[in-house]
Amino acid sequence: MLAQQLINGLSVGGIYALLSTGYALIYSLLGFSNWAHGEVAMLGAYIAVMSVIAAKLPFVASLALALAGAALISLVNEKFFYRHIRNNNSPTMFLMIAAMGLSTTYKNLIVVLVGPKFKYFPQILPFESFEFCGINVGVLDIFSIVVSLAAIVLLDVLIYHTKFGLGIRGCASDSVTAELLGVNVNRYILIVFLLAGGLAGCAGVLLGMKYTVYPSLGNVALKAFIASVFGGLGSIRGAILGAFMIGILETLVSAYVSSGLRDLFTFGLLIAILLIRPEGLLGKSVEQKS
Amino acid sequence: MRKLLLLGLALSVFVAFAAPGMAAEKVIKIGYIGALTGDTAVWGQAGLNGMKLTAKKVNDAGGVLGSAIEVIGMDGKGKPEDSLNALSKLIDMGVIAVVGTNFSSCNIPMAPVATAKKIPLLATAASDPKVTVDETGKLLEYSFRIGFIDPFQGRVLAAFAIEKLGAKTAAILTDIGSDYSYGLSSYFEEEFRKLGGKIVASEQGRAGDNDYRAQLSKFKTVNPDVILVPWIDKDVALIAKQARELGIKAAFMGGDGWDNQDMITMAGAALEGGYYTSQPSFGREVTKPYYDEYVKTYNIKPETEALFGHDAVMWIVDALKRAGKADSVALKGALENTTGFEGLMGTMNIEKKTHNPVKPCSVMTIKGGKIVYVGDFMPKN
Repeated sequence: MLAQQLINGLSVGGIYALLSTGYALIYSLLGFSNWAHGEVAMLGAYIAVMSVIAAKLPFVASLALALAGAALISLVNEKFFYRHIRNNNSPTMFLMIAAMGLSTTYKNLIVVLVGPKFKYFPQILPFESFEFCGINVGVLDIFSIVVSLAAIVLLDVLIYHTKFGLGIRGCASDSVTAELLGVNVNRYILIVFLLAGGLAGCAGVLLGMKYTVYPSLGNVALKAFIASVFGGLGSIRGAILGAFMIGILETLVSAYVSSGLRDLFTFGLLIAILLIRPEGLLGKSVEQKS
Repeated sequence: MRKLLLLGLALSVFVAFAAPGMAAEKVIKIGYIGALTGDTAVWGQAGLNGMKLTAKKVNDAGGVLGSAIEVIGMDGKGKPEDSLNALSKLIDMGVIAVVGTNFSSCNIPMAPVATAKKIPLLATAASDPKVTVDETGKLLEYSFRIGFIDPFQGRVLAAFAIEKLGAKTAAILTDIGSDYSYGLSSYFEEEFRKLGGKIVASEQGRAGDNDYRAQLSKFKTVNPDVILVPWIDKDVALIAKQARELGIKAAFMGGDGWDNQDMITMAGAALEGGYYTSQPSFGREVTKPYYDEYVKTYNIKPETEALFGHDAVMWIVDALKRAGKADSVALKGALENTTGFEGLMGTMNIEKKTHNPVKPCSVMTIKGGKIVYVGDFMPKN
């Protein structure tokens, strides 16, 4: 049973990772937690499911649309809301409040425009699951682990091994100095929002395929946020590590301690991390963890 | 549509006034409270129509205790304060009993008033346990109900699993965020054990968790005969699908939260062969003549509330005959001592401690992605 539970944990962790990297990317540049991130994923899932159900588009096309759409929404959030707040020299807290407002707005917008009832994708993959040495592995799980890993590896290469990534890391390290050195910080911020949005859209579609699409789908991002705190806020590799660890921890607690107490453990871990090691597993020491 | 409704209303008024004609001197008044206007009027109107249609039949057959029955409808608008006002008005008009409502939120404040005034109040579909007992579990003496409480379905499911499906072991997955799920699970567990079955696993989750494979993987290792999933909406489908993905073959069972064709379509093959319970309705063969007469009289299809209306009148008539006099205190005693009352919704006994009915639930199964009525099933006392 342990092997089965580890597989269960990995597949949940993969989706957490897609979302937690988005938190980490934006936190590293702007120093705030983007609470609307989960809703960007939810909107991505709606774009995909509606283009499959209503517009009868093939799945690959709807996935591409969802990624582009979510990236665009994320970009709109930055360009029309967050940037203005930054330009006003308002405290970082204002960015978080604006993000919370956007999160509620998007959820309600979907309830009004599409309705509160869940939507689901028609069966896209031919098989549901197969058995391997007594362990049952869902085809959708393998698909989502492969897609998550591919996206994560690409992101890692982009951030840590390209000149573009150096620019982002430069802005993250000290945006004022980077600007003085001629780096267009606002452009980098825009690109980071595009990236985070695209990842969220991808996570949204995977979530929607596995768990149906509904207005509060984005709530799962709360777990991804805990993962990014656990791994170290602002650290992308930390966010990935944290996501897989939370995914596995949750399934192991459900399996061997109590399924009713699972969330207590996850949120307890968040508090413990903030008290004992606020910089997380791989993060650098920071003062503000909000 | 509006014309039809008006016609129906006019007819029902006609019936109400015409009925007492045969025994103008002696009339037993029964009140009905429901939403006669507003969003939920479709149920309130059906309940009142159903009662009037039944009262006419009783009167045509000579009435009860030498008197005719008169049904008086009062608009409770589906709101607690309006329902309370309606109750006071009806009591002032001298009713012997009041039927309604279908909302627990209305009956919870009405029950203590009815008890203080010693007028039996018969809730229809209100399913909250607190309609007939207060917070401390003390009986509200004059409050009754015709529909079963939600958790009662757990008892029926357990008995059905053991007697009809031959199940010996069961696993339970409860939504800890929901009273409904929790109540169903605990009634199921109690009855299943009482009948000699074994609960081999009991796990919890919360609606919206989405991933239940950690819990289901545990079920797989104990291989139960049936799995109880008293959840609602998409989570039922998610649980069933994930279980099948893990290679679990056991049949699933649930309550009326499953009564949702969308959810069943989404679950696809995963819920095939599963069973769930719901309030008895017009699926029952015996309701056919009443259904036809209702349609003929009112020109509209009846809601289940009309069946509640019918059974309420017949139950009061049955109790009055047993009491031997038209007195609300005697009536209450007779209602309380009801055993084997035959209504259109099935045979009904009353639990004295709670005033909850013990009666059959309709059992449904999923076949070829469609909901199929299996029959009615009732646990042995």
